[in-house]
Amino acid sequence: MHRLGGVGMAAFDRHQQAQRSFAELSSEISQTQIDYVDSQLSQFRTALYRFATTHRKKIRDDPNFRHAFQQMCSSIGVDPLAGPRKGGWWAELVGLGDWQYELGVQIVDICVSTRERNGGLIELSELIRLVSKLRGVESGVITQDDVIRSIKTLEPLGAGYQVIDMGGGRKMENGSRVSEDLIVQKKGWSVERSRAALENMLLRDGLCWLDEQDEGSGTAYWVPSAMQWDI
Amino acid sequence: MTLASFTTPSGFLLPSIHSAPPFFTQQPNPNTQSIVTENWTRLILTYARYRRLFFIKLEDAETKGGDWDEVLRNERINRQLFPSHLSHILSQMVERNQAVYEPQKQTRSVLLYWRLPEEWAEVLHEWVTTTGQLNSILTFYEIIEPPIESVLSGIPMTLLRKAISILGRTGRAQIISVADGEGVRFFAGTGK
Repeated sequence: MHRLGGVGMAAFDRHQQAQRSFAELSSEISQTQIDYVDSQLSQFRTALYRFATTHRKKIRDDPNFRHAFQQMCSSIGVDPLAGPRKGGWWAELVGLGDWQYELGVQIVDICVSTRERNGGLIELSELIRLVSKLRGVESGVITQDDVIRSIKTLEPLGAGYQVIDMGGGRKMENGSRVSEDLIVQKKGWSVERSRAALENMLLRDGLCWLDEQDEGSGTAYWVPSAMQWDI
Repeated sequence: MTLASFTTPSGFLLPSIHSAPPFFTQQPNPNTQSIVTENWTRLILTYARYRRLFFIKLEDAETKGGDWDEVLRNERINRQLFPSHLSHILSQMVERNQAVYEPQKQTRSVLLYWRLPEEWAEVLHEWVTTTGQLNSILTFYEIIEPPIESVLSGIPMTLLRKAISILGRTGRAQIISVADGEGVRFFAGTGK
């Protein structure tokens, strides 16, 4: 019976040789691939560079465009703020870094100046409204995405700013008034649990204010961070 | 829930916090209450200054119809500041020299310092100077109820006395006995 590769010592030699050849071929292919990817990457980089420089103004001014751009960056694993140089070559290219940091500073400004009345918790939409007011821009120019991104850039400072997902957190949307019966009714919690939660918010965390003149329940709790303040 | 500022019939602009229902409740959390107190203090002083009110009393929170209704009540949200809460706020104001109990030895009525006695002293001296009454003797009555209404019209006697005594310390005023009581003579000077 004839077997591919034969038998005996000769077969062993042949086998080794074949392996060597495969290894050579494989590294050759890898090299070609790396070269290819390299050239692709540098092409991509040039293209991106051109794109960013051409559309720099639009990226900064148009929220939809900026969002799409950032989406594109994150989907290909490029962080617009990261880079080898100070501030990131990328950031320098688009000037997005400054913009983002600037927004960050304004966010801190608002958080600090509203901390007393909201106990350090502010609704994202309210924050956006105030930031827009501070910058004197129309609503819609600064998006939720921008704010979240800016808050992330603040992380290394250890200032403790973070976005908390309130878990379907729109529950405060209809108003900032909460009462025991409302929680019992809407969430099916026991009266004790509702009371404990509200008392903790009120006394321990200072996140809500007490209203003893409530028409409905006699006692209601108000969450100032969910209120809109004109002045 | 949007809190908006509101202009009262007297033309005073109430801050948005005045339309927040819990603003009218004394807060069990001391940090929260200090914010509430601070906002009430500012509101009371600016309103007093706007309407030239010198006194606020617990009665103003107890019964309707006084000078303070626009501030101590918010009919639009059906809230009012209770006397006990007002009493707490006033005690804080007295502690911080933003008001004094007047008369003394009671805590139901305060004289508001929307201008401090030192500031009144300057206002008084300025008025005397610009109306050309330096070196002449004025009675207290002439200052409190001048023929032409002035920035000092209606100033309470106790506050006027404090202001005069402050000017006296820098040699810019001197109390003099006149036929029907007391008078005061003012002198030029920078007060420095």
